[in-house]
Amino acid sequence: VLVKLLIFSAALAIAPVASYFLSKDYLWEGNTTLAAITAIMSANTVLVAYIVMSIREERLATVKPATSHTTEESKKDR
Amino acid sequence: MSVCPPYAPFFGFGGVAASMILSTVGAAFGTSKAGIGIAGLGTFRPELIMKSLIPVVMSGIIAVYGLVVSVLIAGGLRPTDYSLYAGFIHLGAGLACGFTGLAAGYAIGFVGDSCVRAYVHESRVFVTMVLILIFGEVLGLYGLIVALIMNSRATEAPRCTY
Repeated sequence: VLVKLLIFSAALAIAPVASYFLSKDYLWEGNTTLAAITAIMSANTVLVAYIVMSIREERLATVKPATSHTTEESKKDR
Repeated sequence: MSVCPPYAPFFGFGGVAASMILSTVGAAFGTSKAGIGIAGLGTFRPELIMKSLIPVVMSGIIAVYGLVVSVLIAGGLRPTDYSLYAGFIHLGAGLACGFTGLAAGYAIGFVGDSCVRAYVHESRVFVTMVLILIFGEVLGLYGLIVALIMNSRATEAPRCTY
């Protein structure tokens, strides 16, 4: 859990600034406005990835106890 | 009155500072206020913590908006041949992004705190929380768009030959 949070925090700090400078030089040939838009899109991508990951992790956590309960009840029936 | 006075970079650097400082104040307020609610939720339902950290991540994005605008404006500053027109543009862009980031962080803080507390009791509050947070986040995005539009006009500033 902590490792995931650290990875996301680092990504949120590094990805926008890196994408700004890299896209300014290699993608947009010096156009700073488009480079800023690229940086903002990368920051929002990190946010969406975090939301999706947290929803998936919660679904995995709620499905697991349900399956273990059903197997225990079948043992009781025997 | 000259077109490129020596005090023109003061306004340019003021824009860089204003963008970073004010958006960070908004993000700090959002993080701390939402963090209070998350600490309350964590004592009852620790398995919900990863989902309830979304307001904190969104406050971080507000600070990233201010950072990107600061870097953008600072890239256009020059020691000489910098007109007062460009200085005012950069100051306006920095203030636009900074104050909207402050407003967005304020909204995210209050919404994050109360929605996270409600999420302990009712799990369907989650989608509502994400929707309201997105609307609050978009306030900062509007300020960023206006700052970008303003900054793009600074390239047509008058040049001084000295």
